[in-house]
Amino acid sequence: MQQRETLWEAYLRRGLSRRSFLKGCFALTAMMGLSLDKFNDVVEAASGRPLPVVIWIHGHECTGCDESFIRSASPLASDLVLNEIALEYDHLLSAACGEPFEAHLDQTIQNYYGNYILAVEGAVATKMNGAYCMSGGHTFTSLLQKAAAGAAAIIAYGSCSSYGGIQAANPNPTGSAGIEMFVGGKPVIKVPGCPPIPEVMTGVVMHVALFGNLPDLDSDGRPKQFFGNRIHDTCYRRPFFDAGLFAETFDDAGAKAGWCLYKLGCRGPETYSSCGNLRWYQGMSYPIQSGAPCIGCANAHFWDEEPFTDRLPKYGKIGDADKIGIGLGVMATAGVAAHAVASVIQRNSRDKVAEENRHDED
Amino acid sequence: MKEVKRKEFYLFSPFLRIFHWIMVTMILILFATGILIAKPLQVMTPEPFLTITSMDLVRDIHFVAAFILCASLILRVYGFAINRGDRLFPRFWEGHFYSETVDVALHYMLLKKEHASYLRNPMARASYAMLYVLLAIEIFTGFAMYFMNKPNGTGAALFGWVNTILGSEMMTHLVHHYVAWFIILFAIGHLYMVVRAEFMEGESEVSSMFSGSKILAHNPKDANEVD
Amino acid sequence: MPHVVVDPITRIEGHLRVEVEINGNQVTDAISSGTAWRGLELVMKDRDPRDAWAYIQRICGVCTTAHALASVRAVEDALGIKIPKNANYIRNIMAATLTVQDHIVHFYHLHALDWVSPVEALSANPDATANLQRDLLNAYRLNFTTPTTGQTLQSMSTEAVPHDFPAATPQYFAAIQAKVRTIVESGQLGIFSAQWWDHPDYKILPPEVHLLAVAHYIEMLDKQRELVTPHVIFGGKNPHPHYVVGGMPCSISLKDGNAPVNTARLAIVDRAINMGRTLVNNYYIPDLVAIGNLYVKAGKVDGGGLAKTRVLGFGAYPIENYSGTSNGSFFSNMLIRCNGVVENFGAGVANAAFHELTADDLKAEDGFTEGVQHAWYEYPENSNPDLHPWEGITKDKFTEPKVGTETVWQQLNEQGKYSWLKTPKWKGQLCEVGPLARYIIIYTRAQKGMLPNPTWAEQMMLEQINAVSGVLGLTPEVWLPTMVGRTAARALDCQLNAEINRFFFDKLIANLKTGDTTVVDNSKWFPEVWDQKCHGVGLYEAPRGGLSHWVSIEDSKISNYQCIVPTTWNACPRDDSAGHGAFEAAMIDTAVQIPDKPIEIARVIRSFDPCMACATHMFDASGKEIAAVTTDPNFR
Repeated sequence: MQQRETLWEAYLRRGLSRRSFLKGCFALTAMMGLSLDKFNDVVEAASGRPLPVVIWIHGHECTGCDESFIRSASPLASDLVLNEIALEYDHLLSAACGEPFEAHLDQTIQNYYGNYILAVEGAVATKMNGAYCMSGGHTFTSLLQKAAAGAAAIIAYGSCSSYGGIQAANPNPTGSAGIEMFVGGKPVIKVPGCPPIPEVMTGVVMHVALFGNLPDLDSDGRPKQFFGNRIHDTCYRRPFFDAGLFAETFDDAGAKAGWCLYKLGCRGPETYSSCGNLRWYQGMSYPIQSGAPCIGCANAHFWDEEPFTDRLPKYGKIGDADKIGIGLGVMATAGVAAHAVASVIQRNSRDKVAEENRHDED
Repeated sequence: MKEVKRKEFYLFSPFLRIFHWIMVTMILILFATGILIAKPLQVMTPEPFLTITSMDLVRDIHFVAAFILCASLILRVYGFAINRGDRLFPRFWEGHFYSETVDVALHYMLLKKEHASYLRNPMARASYAMLYVLLAIEIFTGFAMYFMNKPNGTGAALFGWVNTILGSEMMTHLVHHYVAWFIILFAIGHLYMVVRAEFMEGESEVSSMFSGSKILAHNPKDANEVD
Repeated sequence: MPHVVVDPITRIEGHLRVEVEINGNQVTDAISSGTAWRGLELVMKDRDPRDAWAYIQRICGVCTTAHALASVRAVEDALGIKIPKNANYIRNIMAATLTVQDHIVHFYHLHALDWVSPVEALSANPDATANLQRDLLNAYRLNFTTPTTGQTLQSMSTEAVPHDFPAATPQYFAAIQAKVRTIVESGQLGIFSAQWWDHPDYKILPPEVHLLAVAHYIEMLDKQRELVTPHVIFGGKNPHPHYVVGGMPCSISLKDGNAPVNTARLAIVDRAINMGRTLVNNYYIPDLVAIGNLYVKAGKVDGGGLAKTRVLGFGAYPIENYSGTSNGSFFSNMLIRCNGVVENFGAGVANAAFHELTADDLKAEDGFTEGVQHAWYEYPENSNPDLHPWEGITKDKFTEPKVGTETVWQQLNEQGKYSWLKTPKWKGQLCEVGPLARYIIIYTRAQKGMLPNPTWAEQMMLEQINAVSGVLGLTPEVWLPTMVGRTAARALDCQLNAEINRFFFDKLIANLKTGDTTVVDNSKWFPEVWDQKCHGVGLYEAPRGGLSHWVSIEDSKISNYQCIVPTTWNACPRDDSAGHGAFEAAMIDTAVQIPDKPIEIARVIRSFDPCMACATHMFDASGKEIAAVTTDPNFR
């Protein structure tokens, strides 16, 4: 097999600066499985700098992931959309609509078959053959299958496309699910979050641009560098947890002092996200820093793990597991005490009968 | 009064006995610290490191206790290997297990005056087996949470799947917490039953966990298991 | 007679399909169909009311915060919670921040490409564009600022100089033009692909306006993110910031070292508020007035539709904290008293009628209702055809389209059911909502002498209308209820909200000065003190119009939750007796030059800033269980 030169080497060979290398995102084409020979062909064919083609489709979603994407500061969304990628299909930003837009989608899939990146936002509605989610007169499911077939890589943006999201919460009226089972077995890069951090969303694309390969993924398909730690393990309030300093209620002295929100139900201890280190808006804040306990929005089933303001669910008026446990413990103790008394009575009567029998024998 | 002839049965190896008492201690420590971890005490003192409510300390005690409990399992396993009395299984696969269980249960429900004599009666066997299942759940869920501070490490590779199976790590927390309560409920029942057996039925359930031997008045039905 | 389908409508939130019948240039019938239903209403049932905001906020990530705010208001109304003063100010800042950012994103990124074209920008002269920029700032900057006396406590502008000012240098525009040229010539048009760039409407504006607008498109794409930093400070993130029932989670302390909000954090909010004012005054308003003026001069004064007949508003911005909505307290101290309905504005103010909206209207059985005649839902057989949201029912009933199959649609059935949106009504009538509605209501009220002692914000709205009327040379009755008017009203609303943001920030600072840092009322936090059965309503004038959430709580769980969302009012399917919804009416009121390239249709729809995920019906319950098939791979 021919040794493939790295993209950086390719850049040096072409006498391009590192800056243009970084800006160019050429490397995306490498990810798309093009050899550099073919890459040259593309350059000539396009008579300009070819950009990695991105198709962004929407299922059952709220467009919050799109919005988060354009909140990215590094890279800036405008740089990304106008200079780094060719966002050929996206319901939020694309100029076109209706029939020509759908025709353009088909054309793009055909022209770049096997070479484009598919970004998916939103869950798949499985019930009623997918008629709960229609776009362009067709089901989203069919759109996803069509677009996934020719994709070089698939990015699932947000908790909806990763795991089904809010519409998949109990009782899941539309039978919504994450996209993984509907893309013909292609690997999916999951970027969960509701929405994910802007720079995490763009960072996945940027990683490919800078290093020419897919980021390392964990067993669930999430990029390790962005989902490698629990928020609790990177939280700036962790020292307060360790010290046993907690906000007991919203806006109490502990809350004002910025103590740990664990007792207000914070899901930091089991949520994998970059909220604690990267944070939102380039380190400006994240929910915990603003006094709001984490709701675990990057987790698979977080919508059904409510209530968000308690660590343990409450069962109606009875209370949480601890109350039930104490209740059962007291009942068990009372039960054994009663049983002991009854046992003694039973034994005494048994012994008495045995004694009488013995007397009879005598 | 008539003289009762008693016979001694050697059951429990020292390894099992040591393990048992370590387990008792550790379960109590684990439960107490576990409850404190789930619901830390309310302290509004600005210098928590002077108090016992430091979460760091509480968690460390919890983890050390957990490791001691797991390490002591080796004693249990060794005893299991060398001594027949250490492996009194519930014999699910034998028909008499069920009829004997009913017999014992009727007695415990005070519907029968007594039950046949056993080295260890089938209900006790089943409940101890259940305890090991509960312990295993605690160990697996515990390590699944503990090792995930380093998700790329060996510990996470060994136990991380538990979180996947349960759907999410939050669920692991809940299972860990709920099962702990079941263990405590078991302990209450266990404590009562052994004391009852020791002092009311003369079955030396308590003393045997110190001495290793049961001294029984009747020939137990399952005596053949230690011959 | 061509039957034109536009599906998907892009540059909106969610999934929208429209179909129009065109005779000559005239649209004779129009269908607006929300094409996705997520069933969130059923998801909400039996949840903890204190968590409701988090779930229901996920209706929409574009107008993120809007649903969370309406939800906490509804739950607090039901539970009888009066939030602290600071929480009210902070929520108002959150709301105004959303409005400013959302309107700017709408105009530049969701709407602008209906008016301007990167292709046309190629023939612009950068020098002339620079001059144009200067002229626009001279001619069309409508400078309104928060009044310094009377109702504001202090007008502290913390900005030394305007930091975000439009560049008016030829080199700058030449660079933008070069970039656009690279994109166009590369053949990879990206987001500019496949639009009807050859449509004659793109010739209405001179090339320089196109280049200017494209430049501002890019600038605003970079800046919009900084406008929402108040959400990040007070709510931890954006989209989907955090709230808490009873106030705001962001505790304030000027004495603790690690407080969520302190002076430095407030300074970030201050900076964002300043930026919002600069951007709207120096970019948005001049651009909008220039483009709108040219369109009006070109005779494009159609697309008014339902705005001429009936508009609805709920009233906006409680100045001080209030004790509830259904008890009327909400209505008694509003900064913008647009709570009411104006009918027949198109016939002139003299012939228009104003009906004030009060708490009693909210509770009346026939006040606000929703019908499902043409929506893919069904009510029980003996039920009233229109149900009050507290009694609302959501049971989906999908039917096939007129042409096509269940999963491949050619043409929807306007005779039968054709949308996932219900049809909301006010006293049996359909209404348009939105910034346009707010301006029409305040203007009509004032003209009719039904707006005693106008607040500074209302005064500003009236002055804004006068200023634009002066530029266009038309009376408000003519220019307001049009497609251009709808887009213009949104820009004016943006300017107004930028000032409102400053107003409430000043109030927050003044209150903090008194030593009051409370942001949460915890007195009704625990369910033990709740009524066994209660219901509440939360109102909020969202960027897209009047939003209402209706919650019923039973045994400390949500038993019913309905949202009547702005886009449901506007995009709803028709009603056989009440007629067309605002989208359909506006399309019918729009001339289409080239039926194959119905850009006018897309443009008039986008002038509403549609938010379909919001609209597709939100809520229900009343025990209608739908059997759920689990798709969870873990079989939980």
